[in-house]
Amino acid sequence: MADAPSRVERVLNLLALMLDTQVPRTREEFVREIAGYPAQPEANRRAFERDKEILRGMGVPITMENIGDSSEVGYRVRPDDYCLPDLGLTPDETAALRVAVSAISLGDRTGHGALMKLGGVGDYSAAPIASLPIAPALATLFEAFRHRAVVEFVYRGERRTLEPWGLSSKRGHWYVVGFDRVRDAVRAFRADRIDGDVDVGAPDAFDVPADFRADDHIQDRAWLLGEAPPVSVRLAVDTHHLDAVVSALGPEARAEPDPTHDGITIVEVSVNNRPAFRSFVLGFLEHAEILDPPDVRADIIEWLESVAAGGA
Amino acid sequence: MSGRPVAGAEVQRILAIVPWIVAHPGASKTEIAGRFGMGAEQLDDDLALVLMIGVPPYSPGDYLDVVDDGEFVTIRLADQFSRPLRLTPAEGLALLAAGRALLAVPGSDPDGPLATALGKLERALDLPEVVVEVGEPPYLEAVRDAAARGERVEIEYWSAGRDELTTRRIDPAVAFFAMGEWYVSAFCHRADAERMFRVDRIRALRATGDHFEASAGDDEIADVFHPHDDDPRVTIELAPSAAWVAEAYPAESTTTRADGTIEVVLAVSEPAWLERLLIRLGPEARVTGPESALRAGADAARRVLARYAEGSGHDPDPFAHARA
Repeated sequence: MADAPSRVERVLNLLALMLDTQVPRTREEFVREIAGYPAQPEANRRAFERDKEILRGMGVPITMENIGDSSEVGYRVRPDDYCLPDLGLTPDETAALRVAVSAISLGDRTGHGALMKLGGVGDYSAAPIASLPIAPALATLFEAFRHRAVVEFVYRGERRTLEPWGLSSKRGHWYVVGFDRVRDAVRAFRADRIDGDVDVGAPDAFDVPADFRADDHIQDRAWLLGEAPPVSVRLAVDTHHLDAVVSALGPEARAEPDPTHDGITIVEVSVNNRPAFRSFVLGFLEHAEILDPPDVRADIIEWLESVAAGGA
Repeated sequence: MSGRPVAGAEVQRILAIVPWIVAHPGASKTEIAGRFGMGAEQLDDDLALVLMIGVPPYSPGDYLDVVDDGEFVTIRLADQFSRPLRLTPAEGLALLAAGRALLAVPGSDPDGPLATALGKLERALDLPEVVVEVGEPPYLEAVRDAAARGERVEIEYWSAGRDELTTRRIDPAVAFFAMGEWYVSAFCHRADAERMFRVDRIRALRATGDHFEASAGDDEIADVFHPHDDDPRVTIELAPSAAWVAEAYPAESTTTRADGTIEVVLAVSEPAWLERLLIRLGPEARVTGPESALRAGADAARRVLARYAEGSGHDPDPFAHARA
């Protein structure tokens, strides 16, 4: 079958002509010039569309323009848009990127594809040391963030309109953080919890405050995520669980040994969301006890009594 | 992006190879094959295909020209393909995310070649910064050092599943970050087997002075959850508001009923893990089997209540007696 051009050959020739042409050309011109397209018009139209999708799918910027004053549509690729600019990377820097792509597992081979464009991955491989899977929506959010375009998406069953001000990964999850136009406030959203597609608006739709840092707005301490006024809670913790409690509570928590009981430390922390804090304390089973205020203590006792009564 | 036709992958590979060879005339075919992770035959096939690429009117000078003496290769007349294709948004993000994540790992050089490479990428491609945090539990550096040097260490470890503090000697193999936590896989001399430890649950670490023979690391990050066939399976009925449980833990099966409740089957290797889950979910969860697990949540709740009653002997106000 040496005479029948392969699909790959046809696609590459299509790209070569799209890059070479000074003026947009019609589909008819491409399929006539390039070997390998079927003769029948409907078949060659479909083949051309599929080839175009392959190229677009890998990021080739194919533009669609009217030809002259006519309503005929032509296609081409502008070489300046096609080319990766010279990044000026030193061999050390390319090697460092190669190490990073091997060491950090993002859940697919996209990083390796990028390295190929930067001149090959070599046979370097190392055991990955971190796994931070990237949700499908994240690349779209990144592009919108880069172009300062407003995005819309469904999150927890609600439609959100967001100015994406930053992208950040914390505790293994990727977040988009920005200004929620409906709620009129800065909000963080877990990218893997976004339902369906992200719609992207026009570029340059907003400015990001100069001192904005996305990770400042990602609250992974659920008991601080509440509308309720803060209340100061004291907790008795078995001392051999203290490290875990304190590292979870963060630097704001104060810890002092209990003067009357060996092996117990009193920790004081501010809480805005009581159910979330109850859940945190219960994670330590009988090794942590809420001391006061009395109503917070009463809440957890009531909860425990109902759990103890259930499943009987 | 899954399901991209195979032709697309081949086109991408050729579009990456051609500019590199154009920029490195007379490059060795062995080097090219190694650099782009392909076999010698594959490279020959690709080069044969490159000879077929041209532009109208397709006279001899309109095709890419490959000079291949069997060992070294040069490509000419490749005006259209003298530069690589730009990065897609996903590719730009992948490089930045991987780079920023590795820089965030304790011990990385914040001013080294990786940092300067990312700076150049961000400037040249007009990419915004992404912020990655991977945490740093207290004994992470010590564990990674011990793994790198092949040093046996003794740890005090809180086993959350059994809710007990144990002392054990381990040979740390590799530390890795997955699902938001740092883990170390190690040979545990107490269990006489490979075990996975969460680094933030190491409460103390001491050098033993002993060394071990480091084995080659695995290529993939090990599964953090690795249910055994003989772990008990527990069936739990979840309220719709607790649907996250089915996502957060590797459920063996998940069934959503017409009324919105969800039935999950979970492998439960350690009873305290199940207790912790049930006591937190409260009315949102109900164990339906097996018989032995039906009361797990209620029993745990009674134990915790005992502490509140007087089990720990703790007085809510330690100074009350003094004032009395």
